Amino acid sequence: MAMIEVKNITKSFGDLTVLKNFSVDFTQEGVTVLIGPSGTGKSTLLRCINGLEKIDDGDIIVDGLSVKEKKNLKHIRLACGMVFQQTVLFPHLNVMDNMILSPVKLLGMDKKDAQEKARYYLNKVGLSNKEKSMHNELSGGEQQRVAIARALILNPKALLLDEITSALDPEMSREVLFILENLAKEGVCMLVVTHEMSFARHVASRILFLDKGTLVCDEPKDRFFSVVRQENERISKFLQFIGE
Amino acid sequence: MYDKYMQLTWNDAIQFLRGIGVTLSITLISLIIGTIIGAILGLVRCSKNKVVSSLPLILIEPLRNSPLVVQLFLIFYGLPMVTRIILEPYPAAIITLSLNTAAFFAVLVHSSIKAVPEMQWQAGYALGHDLKSTFIYIIFRQSLRILVPQAITLYISQLQCSSLVALIGLMDLTKTGELITLRTMKPFTVLGIVFLLYYFISTPLAKLAQKLEKRVGFSY
Repeated sequence: MAMIEVKNITKSFGDLTVLKNFSVDFTQEGVTVLIGPSGTGKSTLLRCINGLEKIDDGDIIVDGLSVKEKKNLKHIRLACGMVFQQTVLFPHLNVMDNMILSPVKLLGMDKKDAQEKARYYLNKVGLSNKEKSMHNELSGGEQQRVAIARALILNPKALLLDEITSALDPEMSREVLFILENLAKEGVCMLVVTHEMSFARHVASRILFLDKGTLVCDEPKDRFFSVVRQENERISKFLQFIGE
Repeated sequence: MYDKYMQLTWNDAIQFLRGIGVTLSITLISLIIGTIIGAILGLVRCSKNKVVSSLPLILIEPLRNSPLVVQLFLIFYGLPMVTRIILEPYPAAIITLSLNTAAFFAVLVHSSIKAVPEMQWQAGYALGHDLKSTFIYIIFRQSLRILVPQAITLYISQLQCSSLVALIGLMDLTKTGELITLRTMKPFTVLGIVFLLYYFISTPLAKLAQKLEKRVGFSY
């Protein structure tokens, strides 16, 4: 059974329809990469799944619950941890407090247990020596790694990653992508919006290509980069344009 | 014969202390009431419902855009004319200062919450927090960074403005100075003392503001 079922959703912002009768399913396995030109609804799709945007039509079922019911949103958001393009750490809290805020206040976890768990995930993202740092003492890449760890500490069934390296320089991007590669090897399920094609080539199991709010292509990675890019002119042009 | 009468005495010092007591008590009570009312109005102003968020403006705008002395006279002299409610100077002063403080504080609360970046709300929601939880643990603490220094400035200003209650006969520090001046015919000396006493009362607040600013401050 799919963990996330996107059923014929439509989402508009004013006169601009960003997603049109869009349907796709995601299981709790592997890394799905969403690619496509800017403004084609990739980020909007992730935000709709997380309940940050209200869909105009259709439905999204996450872990058996509809995003249209407000009472389901907490469970859905805990099931699908989201990390944004802009790093959004809480600036009034240090790294450790950023990490344990939700487990302690939302899930009622004991503070010491939460700190133990936070240390485990900070170690996983290579930042075990930064727990007392404030956000402005971290580089952009380090901030994103904390954001990933902060999402992971809630044991989500899937991570939704919305262009998390777009605002970073190449060196910081590599730091973050390295972490994602390790998480993928450990079996963490991820939906990733990215323009980093080398990441998609190495890590993705499935590629979705979106254009003008519709799903143009949904293929396993190997087939996408071999057969589909040759058969589909639109996809071929896009990949050439981004230097792939 | 009148020389002794026109000298400053220890009794005048006691009168000044009493005046300070009245000034501080009306200011403190008004600031507490005004802060509570202002916080409620400010939070209502943050509502996404346009009708609801506009309701506090019915109170806020007239109070912010009219002189405090006129508000004081309206309550002390005007109210008995229309309602037969006659207030003593002390409660009239407290009501006026409280409402005035509430209006300005509401604007501070509203603007300090709005100043927190929208992405902070989104990050809170994305982590599973609802509106209340996001506000309490994430937004409120960040809003203090802007709210606290501005609130202290407002409080110091209201302390100075409380001197207007002398106009309705309340024996605060200003009125005390006025009466002693009339007796001693030494306006510069006496009012100079009043000036210094206001300064010494306000200074601890200003120092407190600096300390609190450091405690709640951070950079984005």
